[in-house]
Amino acid sequence: MAELISGRRLRRLATIGAVAAVVVLYLCMVGLVEAFKDRNVVTGVITLGAVMLLAVPLIAGYRAALPSRDPSTRALGAGQRVFFGLLVGLIAGAALAVFVLIASTVDLRGVLVRISPPLLEFLTLGLTSGPAQLAIAAIGGLMGALGAALLVSPARIRNAVTSALIAVLFMSMIEPLLRPRLEQLDYTAISDFLYQAHGLTEVASIVCFVVGAGAAILWQPGNDLLRRTVEAAPVQTRRRIRGWTIAVLVVAVLILPQLSGTFLAQVAVLVGLYMLLALGLNIVVGYAGLLDLGYVAFFAVGAYLTALLTSPDSSLGIGLPFFVALPIVMLSAGLTGLLIGAPVLRLRGDYLAIVTLGFGEIARVLFESDALRPWLGGVQGILGIPSPFPVRIDLQLGATHIFASGPQVLYYPIFAFCALAAVFAYRLSNSRVGRAWNAMREDESVAEATGVSTVNYKLLAFALGATTGCLSGALFAVQLGSVFPGSFDVFVSITVLAVIILGGMGSIPGVILGAIVLIGLPELLREFVEYRILVYGAVLVAMMLLRPEGLIPNRGRQRELHEAADEEEEETLDGDLMAQRSTS
Amino acid sequence: MSLLNTPAGPAPVTDVILSVHHLTKRFEGLVANREIDFEIPRHAIVSMIGPNGAGKTTFFNQLTGIIEPTSGTIEFDGTSVIGMAPHEVAELGIARTYQNIRLFANMTVLANVMVGRHVRMKAQWYQAVLGLPHVAREEAAVQQRSLELLDLVGLPRRYADDLAKNLPYGHQRRLELARALASDPKLLLLDEPTAGMNPGETRQMTDLIARLRRELELTILLIEHDMKVVMGVSERITVLDYGERIAEGTPEEIRTNPRVIEAYLGKQATA
Repeated sequence: MAELISGRRLRRLATIGAVAAVVVLYLCMVGLVEAFKDRNVVTGVITLGAVMLLAVPLIAGYRAALPSRDPSTRALGAGQRVFFGLLVGLIAGAALAVFVLIASTVDLRGVLVRISPPLLEFLTLGLTSGPAQLAIAAIGGLMGALGAALLVSPARIRNAVTSALIAVLFMSMIEPLLRPRLEQLDYTAISDFLYQAHGLTEVASIVCFVVGAGAAILWQPGNDLLRRTVEAAPVQTRRRIRGWTIAVLVVAVLILPQLSGTFLAQVAVLVGLYMLLALGLNIVVGYAGLLDLGYVAFFAVGAYLTALLTSPDSSLGIGLPFFVALPIVMLSAGLTGLLIGAPVLRLRGDYLAIVTLGFGEIARVLFESDALRPWLGGVQGILGIPSPFPVRIDLQLGATHIFASGPQVLYYPIFAFCALAAVFAYRLSNSRVGRAWNAMREDESVAEATGVSTVNYKLLAFALGATTGCLSGALFAVQLGSVFPGSFDVFVSITVLAVIILGGMGSIPGVILGAIVLIGLPELLREFVEYRILVYGAVLVAMMLLRPEGLIPNRGRQRELHEAADEEEEETLDGDLMAQRSTS
Repeated sequence: MSLLNTPAGPAPVTDVILSVHHLTKRFEGLVANREIDFEIPRHAIVSMIGPNGAGKTTFFNQLTGIIEPTSGTIEFDGTSVIGMAPHEVAELGIARTYQNIRLFANMTVLANVMVGRHVRMKAQWYQAVLGLPHVAREEAAVQQRSLELLDLVGLPRRYADDLAKNLPYGHQRRLELARALASDPKLLLLDEPTAGMNPGETRQMTDLIARLRRELELTILLIEHDMKVVMGVSERITVLDYGERIAEGTPEEIRTNPRVIEAYLGKQATA
């Protein structure tokens, strides 16, 4: 035993335990647990708050059982590893137990407002002091041991359990989306089977668990087989597979609002607007490497220009049709980009970031100011922006009846613009222009000496980024029917930047995924709204530490080139060998 | 200078591609280059040597427009380079490599070379956005040419899709050379092309430099510390010391020039 718990190992376990303890206490103190303690995951069995708390010692236990760099740990047996997990879980549990003891004897609410009696009751499981502490510590230890046991168990079981748990959690999380839709479509029987009091029913959760586990077990060998088959296929077939994948995705995107109903379509519209913003900012930051923290300015300019030109209630009052106004808006947007780009041409890195941050705020303050009120409406903004898109579509195509309203309609033009922007950005990135931008990002002076006119290419990046941002702003104005300066604060810039960083700088699929994850998910977990910034922060810190290149790094082109080069490779290799032989 | 003052006769085979007169660069109080006169005949390989801090890199930076001279003239192929932005100089036909390799680290090897071709390409951003056929044709042609350049400098094609920062050192030097060559320069400036190389690699690089001049009809100016390289490859050598030109001549003349020996080895060596 003395050998088992050496000083170094003890320190490592203590560190993991301490981190878990801090996370658990933090979740309680900021109110996340309280916010989620009434959201059922499985009704009558477990709530989301409990899931969050339990997940921490589980993950800590898993980590504690992982082989460390210390080679002696590799020889550890399963029992010892589980014991480590138990230890770590106990530390976290004990910390929470002590916290509960303190909180229930001393009133901490003066300082920590989130520690409410209902929270304490939830944490103590309704037990009295004493038994409650024991129970909390025991549960912590149990979860830690379970986490470790998960690691120790064979991969097949591990994957099955993980997938089953995720399936249950996922099905319960989409309840707010799925249930109203099911009821709307008259599938009340399914909805009643699945859900009860906003959580899964016990039977449904068992079904989900089994399906999740089953899918993992069946998929495991199949997945490998599938990948190997695809990889073994000739280039031609692989291209065809890719074509089909894209086609299926396009169809899925097209019918999504029909299946999902209005609420999800509304979320999708928001995701689309941010996707467009991110595609534009990606040109500036991802391709050209110009850190622009005031990107919201272009979003605002686009929205306000659209409002001024199309709303009959605006100070201009000309009420142009949207599609007549749009080219004017985009042209002016490009000019705005040049206007903002020109003074910052000589700035690099941090300096550029600070100046653009200032520009973003200046834009917001101007739109809000009383001085410009007669034209821009001040805090009241501009109302009465007409939408060029029909409010509802009611079509009878043969046997299928298509009905769409509000966001379900707006969804299509927004995603059409997104697709267009993505295609344009993709073409630019793989052209002379994109390479010049990348070169500038890598080393500005060498790019200049290599023949890239850095002044022109910086301005071009700003102008194109601005145009895309303004387009998103224009659609935003149309979607709301009104614009207010409050919508254009610095948080928009930060969010868009976060989308790009999360997805992967300079990677178009990354940007798309980033927008879905960072904008879409929080909308689905509405309790999160209050904690959105907190979660953004945590996600960004985690990403920078674990995967700084983003979810989908920009390596697509490389793979493409590999495919083309495959045929030549052997030949070239022989050539090299010959060349080397002849020189040596 | 004696080489260039050929007496009138049949049209001079070796006309001058670069001529520099009275070039002076002051940084505050420090004179980095003082009244330098310098000429390179077309298709020659000329070296510039001198102890550290002699002003060689400053001289390079003025040729390429990165810093502006305090006074003096630089004429390249009949055009004054003074006041031009570096990218304009690159377009005129001067390309360079760097003493401490400066590649576009997070771009692929192939993309690095293709950036080098930038000034000779025509595709505008709106043409690229529209995906016009001539853009794709140009792109394919440049890609092909870039791969050939990799062959020329001896960088195996299998590295084409690797990030430049992942290349081994010797290959990074070769890549930098390929990038410089991609713009079809008339004058190639090499700043210590064999720095940090072992004797084998150094010899390969020397052979390559000689071959480039032959095959691409280049004019090459190199800064180099390795005397073996300098003596082996150059036709004329200019020696700088404390920002001044102290000698100019054939390798044989330089080798025996007492001022040069003094600059390199100190006073006692000549005594």
